[in-house]
Amino acid sequence: MSGVSARSLAKGSAPPGPVPEGLIRVYSMRFCPFAERTLLVLKAKGIRHEVININLKNKPEWFFKKNPLGLVPVLENSKGQLIYESAITCEYLDEAYSGKKLLPEDPYEKACQKMIFELFSKVPSLVTSFLRRQNKEDCSGLKEELHREFSKLEEVLTNKKTAFFGGNSLSMIDYLIWPWLERLEALELNECVDHTPKLKLWMAAMRKDPTVSAVLIDVKAHKGFIDLYLQNSPEACDYGL
Amino acid sequence: MRFCPYSHRTRLVLKAKGIRHEIVNINLRNKPEWYYTKHPLGQIPVLETSQCQLIYESVIACEYLDDAYPGRKLFPCDPYERARQKMLSELFCKVPQLTKECLVALRCRRECTDLKVALRQEFCNLEEILDYQNTTFFGGDCISMIDYLLWPWFERLDVYGIADCVSHTPALRLWIASMKQDPTVCALLTDKSIFQGYLSLYFQNNPNAFDFGLC
Repeated sequence: MSGVSARSLAKGSAPPGPVPEGLIRVYSMRFCPFAERTLLVLKAKGIRHEVININLKNKPEWFFKKNPLGLVPVLENSKGQLIYESAITCEYLDEAYSGKKLLPEDPYEKACQKMIFELFSKVPSLVTSFLRRQNKEDCSGLKEELHREFSKLEEVLTNKKTAFFGGNSLSMIDYLIWPWLERLEALELNECVDHTPKLKLWMAAMRKDPTVSAVLIDVKAHKGFIDLYLQNSPEACDYGL
Repeated sequence: MRFCPYSHRTRLVLKAKGIRHEIVNINLRNKPEWYYTKHPLGQIPVLETSQCQLIYESVIACEYLDDAYPGRKLFPCDPYERARQKMLSELFCKVPQLTKECLVALRCRRECTDLKVALRQEFCNLEEILDYQNTTFFGGDCISMIDYLLWPWFERLDVYGIADCVSHTPALRLWIASMKQDPTVCALLTDKSIFQGYLSLYFQNNPNAFDFGLC
């Protein structure tokens, strides 16, 4: 799909034109785990889309008209409708586009996926805290917390006795969780899944999924981005291009 | 629990959709041991079906009820309009914690000027939405899910002692007035003196607070 490996737009760039009919646009950033959720859903559902990458260290002024919070991902359709907050974008795409439904139709099963999502909700900020840690001493506390959160997910897989969080095939909840588990290796946090064998098996199964492997970024690229990001470099978002 | 704003959301949806239900109130200061089999952390609200399915988190419970039961749909059908209601719900997300902190500060006779400034700012964000849309309710000209999700905290502004936080937001005040005319909201409105009685006992750490007003 066009744009996914394009250089990011920064301050001073011209705002993009309207979205052509038949296409949906996602404002993204190649290394952002939240935006990755949306890219996974677009790919899984085979939705025709274009990607505009945003330099999150040097945001274009016009981007705040797309999302007043200035965050990615943001969806924009040909009617000029804007949708943001990654989970909301994913649900929107599942509802608005035909084809394989990623969320279950059954109201209770759908609610279960949302309850698992809540269970996962502390992981993103823990990973960010870990990323930003100044003092190596803080690590063991954070790693402990992360390990505890992963144990909750292990319990779900144990109780359900299924390969994936929504059952025996991959569904929305798996895509929503994946981006953070993808980054464990680059962050040297693999030990946090040492005591959660089912979660480890799930990670291996996810890597085999065609959608996940199409969107996956290798460890070296993640590390390259993280290095530049921590130095607040405006080049971070375009690492590898 | 009769005075919990999160449970209030679920009770509003049950009423609005005319869903037959029974209520089991939990004493939150003295939780029954069995309650942890319904929710791992012992929180409310929790829905339980006749198939023993458990659903919790107030927003998830409300969405479940709208999906699972026929009749009037509280969420719009259009995917974009549904997404908009969810984005609005995110915009509101700091309000519950802020109103609780104001309440606690006031009851403990502490300063809460900064908290009220922060709350007013959140209300300004909501005011902007109503102004931009020029509609009576957050989802359009008819009441819908998003209005019911927000309402419980606005019903409590007066009894919490922070009704002045909407002094600069006329559209929001109009919305509050319109909400008070909705039959569902009215049916569930809690009497001010009963609420105040509950709050007094609650802040005295009286475990009977939750049953204040019952015979």
